[in-house]
Amino acid sequence: MDKQMLLEDHIRKNKLDTVLICMFMVVLLFSVIFAIGYILGLPPIFAMAIGLPISLLYLGVTYSFSVQSVIAASGARPANPQVREEKLLINKVEEMSIAAGLPMPTVYVQDSHDINAFATGKKPEKAIICATTGAIQKLNSEELEGVIGHEMSHIQNRDILVATVTVAVVGTIALLAEIAIRSLFFGGGRGNKRDNGGAIILIIALVFIILAPIFSRLTYLAISRRREYLADANGAYLTRNPEGLALALEKIKNDLPDDPKGSKTVASLYIANPFKREIRNSIWSTHPPLDERIRRLRSM
Amino acid sequence: MELLLWAIILLVVLIVVILLLVFWGIYNRIIRSENRIDNAWAQIDVQLKRRADLIPNLMESVKGYMKHERGTLESVTNARAAIMSAKSPQEANNANNMLTGALKTLFAVAESYPDLKANQNFLQLQDELTHTEDKISFARQHFNDSVLSYNNTIETFPGNFFAHRMGKKAREMLQIPEASREVPKVAF
Repeated sequence: MDKQMLLEDHIRKNKLDTVLICMFMVVLLFSVIFAIGYILGLPPIFAMAIGLPISLLYLGVTYSFSVQSVIAASGARPANPQVREEKLLINKVEEMSIAAGLPMPTVYVQDSHDINAFATGKKPEKAIICATTGAIQKLNSEELEGVIGHEMSHIQNRDILVATVTVAVVGTIALLAEIAIRSLFFGGGRGNKRDNGGAIILIIALVFIILAPIFSRLTYLAISRRREYLADANGAYLTRNPEGLALALEKIKNDLPDDPKGSKTVASLYIANPFKREIRNSIWSTHPPLDERIRRLRSM
Repeated sequence: MELLLWAIILLVVLIVVILLLVFWGIYNRIIRSENRIDNAWAQIDVQLKRRADLIPNLMESVKGYMKHERGTLESVTNARAAIMSAKSPQEANNANNMLTGALKTLFAVAESYPDLKANQNFLQLQDELTHTEDKISFARQHFNDSVLSYNNTIETFPGNFFAHRMGKKAREMLQIPEASREVPKVAF
């Protein structure tokens, strides 16, 4: 019982962190809109009236197409229950969905020698879990269970929603910054009519807009790494066996990446970044370093 | 003076509204987690029945090979009957543990029948039974998780305050045998 409480504490702390980071994202988006308004000499309300619809439209479009584009980019196909290996994958997914008390997700298989897996779908009712053929062949039952438990936790914690929305916010901020900088180049704004104090604020606003896309990207990456730790802890809670996932991550670490498929924007959905192996702790990574994840799993 | 009076009235109304919202939230949370327990139990029941349904097929496929293992076969059949007639969750749970034990013996004995081990139908049933057994143990785990979260809700503040008035009492967890907590090892 002690062990479980420990895991629940992990989960609670991670959730709180994510909420704080998400609030920071929203504040950042609003600040960017205000800063642009200031530079272009628009009243704040007017800036919001233009900025918000653009943001919401962009968010909405990204959001609606997220699931199809992830599946299309990965080239995944539905799992075939007639093949014994794929039937065993379907069984594992069913077991984990029972452990989590969630509806059974649709199971997909991606042809790739890499050991990897991802979850997608905005609602738990329409979730998809996809594993690579490499994962099915190279992982044993215990390890595969750990990986599926991790993916099931992404669904349970609505991480796909968080990831989709944050990616969309990052895109929106980049888009707005681009528009602002371009319109300044074409002579818009009220820069010339300013006194000294106004000029300083203008420069600050400009620097802020140039840095905002980088800020938002770093924030998104921080969220992504948090959610990975959270899914590891939650997955271990579902399987009651942190060692299974730890062993799977070790196999992933020692397995060289090969023919990565899919789009880089969804790299954070995978259990391990399909494009590179995280070795060091870096603010530019979508995933925490594998060694650190293994260490945390083993200390549970 | 009049302004102060209005401010006080506004404050009181605000507090009442907040309290009502809190009550609403807690009430729903208690009911929801109670429903989750019932649903979790239904899930175990579904899996237990499915497992019991697989037994006659299994008996059919091993009958021809294991004529001299009457005791083993009988204990499986008896355990299945006990599941079908169980009246309470704990009773069904105990019968299921009996079946798990009996099946373990049966599969161990099957090792010494090479013909049986080569039988595709038998292998498929063995896979299926292992899978249902795993599903049962995860369904029980989810049941206990749901009970734990319900009990935590109604025994800690502020839930305990309402639960007492709603006549809600802590639920009991299923006793899970040590063996089923181990990770099942299927080589593939």
